[in-house]
Amino acid sequence: MERLIEILEDIQPDADYETCTNLIDGHILSSLDIISLIAELEDEYDITIPAVEIVPANFNSAAAMMKMIERLQED
Amino acid sequence: MDLSFLLAGCGKAMTSFFALTFLFLFLPACLIIYSIVPRSWKKYILLIASYLFFWFVSGTLVIYLILSTLSVFLLGLWIDRIQTQMKDHLKELPKEERKAAKPKYMRRQKRVVLLGVVLHIGLLLVIKYSGFFFLNVNGFLKLCGSSVWFSIPRFAMPIGLSFFSLQAVSYIVDVYHGLEKADRNFLRLALFMSFFPQIVEGPICRYSQTAGQLWQVGPIKYENLTFGLQRLLYGAMKKVVVADRLNPLVTQIFDTTNNYDGGVIALGAVCYTIQLYMDFSGAMDAVAGIGQIFGVTMPENFERPFFSHSISEFWKRWHISLGAWFRDYIFYPVTSAKSMKKLTSSARKKLGNHFGPLIAGSIALFCVWFCNGLWHGAAWSFIFFGMYHFVLILTENMIAPAVKSFNTKLHINSASKPYHAMQIVRTAVLVVIGELFFRAGGLQAGFSMFGKMFTSFSFSWLNGDTLSSLGVDWQDMLIVGITIIIVFVVSLMNEKGIKLRESLAKKNIVLRWSVFYILIFYIIIFGAYGFGYIPVDPMYAQF
Repeated sequence: MERLIEILEDIQPDADYETCTNLIDGHILSSLDIISLIAELEDEYDITIPAVEIVPANFNSAAAMMKMIERLQED
Repeated sequence: MDLSFLLAGCGKAMTSFFALTFLFLFLPACLIIYSIVPRSWKKYILLIASYLFFWFVSGTLVIYLILSTLSVFLLGLWIDRIQTQMKDHLKELPKEERKAAKPKYMRRQKRVVLLGVVLHIGLLLVIKYSGFFFLNVNGFLKLCGSSVWFSIPRFAMPIGLSFFSLQAVSYIVDVYHGLEKADRNFLRLALFMSFFPQIVEGPICRYSQTAGQLWQVGPIKYENLTFGLQRLLYGAMKKVVVADRLNPLVTQIFDTTNNYDGGVIALGAVCYTIQLYMDFSGAMDAVAGIGQIFGVTMPENFERPFFSHSISEFWKRWHISLGAWFRDYIFYPVTSAKSMKKLTSSARKKLGNHFGPLIAGSIALFCVWFCNGLWHGAAWSFIFFGMYHFVLILTENMIAPAVKSFNTKLHINSASKPYHAMQIVRTAVLVVIGELFFRAGGLQAGFSMFGKMFTSFSFSWLNGDTLSSLGVDWQDMLIVGITIIIVFVVSLMNEKGIKLRESLAKKNIVLRWSVFYILIFYIIIFGAYGFGYIPVDPMYAQF
């Protein structure tokens, strides 16, 4: 989780990723941030994030992102 | 039974939800039959009503809808079959071999999806764009001095083709992604594809949004009936009182643009933008209202777009379902392509967090806006319209860090109300310019009209004679102005989270019915219909 928060802070520093649960719905992460984030997450966790996974539910919080990463690693 | 008398009256007039034939014949008949049949029949009544509606409007072209639904149904089942085979096969394999076995099945599924996309988008391309394509090919050949030319093909276009084709593709892709289980009930899928309120102008629904609701419809509830009728009346007010009243002025200015100076053209562009908004959002109010009467929550297609602070925000609030379709089925798939992800990673290292992802983002954005422009029509002016918004949104993204540092240096509070007001006005001006090109009869006419706003601007239209030559008078403008204020106040309250219909429902019966009667009489008295007015078709139905 720590590494994920580091990646997020590198992309968009203006958010508290420990507590925030509306990163997408609250327009904190833009579509450009998401493009960066996906490329970073794929490199870091050796996963492929298909377009279908790019939904607010998977990116609204760091915890939701971690859950998605773990699921994709299992696949 | 001979239905020719209905067909003669319905046909074209039925395309509008506010046409008398629809409001006082089709919809009440549908509601009465729907109410008296047993619950288990209600969904079939909706299906029959939807196909009758399509038949009244497009006649034998209903075959397109039937074939489209049939192909989507079969392709969905085909994908489902491959997915079941894959699951069964993978279950039998040891864990380490599963990953290697999967791609074969995924490739087979992709081929089916591709077939579905080619069928539906291909049909749309042939019917809607082949004329435009061959016209340009002929122009190019002529330019090269060739005497060869192609005859321009013309196809009869069924109503709503641009809408239900996108719905068809979204269903196939969602089944492929495992977001939806392929529907084994052909009639349920047919109702999802054809539901009569949405077939003319959308919204473009995803299967998960409406299919289940439509198949589980029950008796009409009093609250749904009143809320739905209120929404329908509100939409009627926007369309009949504002959009149709502005139509003579807009038509006159855009059809005889050479007769007018830049001031009149600016007035025309503003009035056209208002007309388009009131026409389209009014129709969407009707869709939502009719849906609500049957107990179906239709996705919202507008969220007060003229409160937007930027063009990107505007397009998240205007024609939301089209924007969402392009985002989900073009923008993210393009940016998620392997090559794009590589590009983003390397560009981010060289150009930083902001400009790095902008390269892949701008390629995807270009695809989205090229398709968006073309979706609206087969003409260079529509492609220009798309590219205009592509450039604006790209520019907004590119200059965002510079604007932020500029504001910080000059101590400008970007959260203040005046700053927000400036952003809203700037966005509205940019939207109006875009709509000028959208409505102008071609690119050349668009540039000529735009140029006039700078070279020969005056307020001559304030003179009553100019207005009357444009087919309207001061009374018309006053009625339009008052109605716009009403819509503005309602929008402002919605923006602040005030639910007007719910608040009204808590008031006493006299006040509730007074509002109903005021709205009805307002539309009857101030609506632009009858003698002296040409009925205006729903503007988005032509796209």
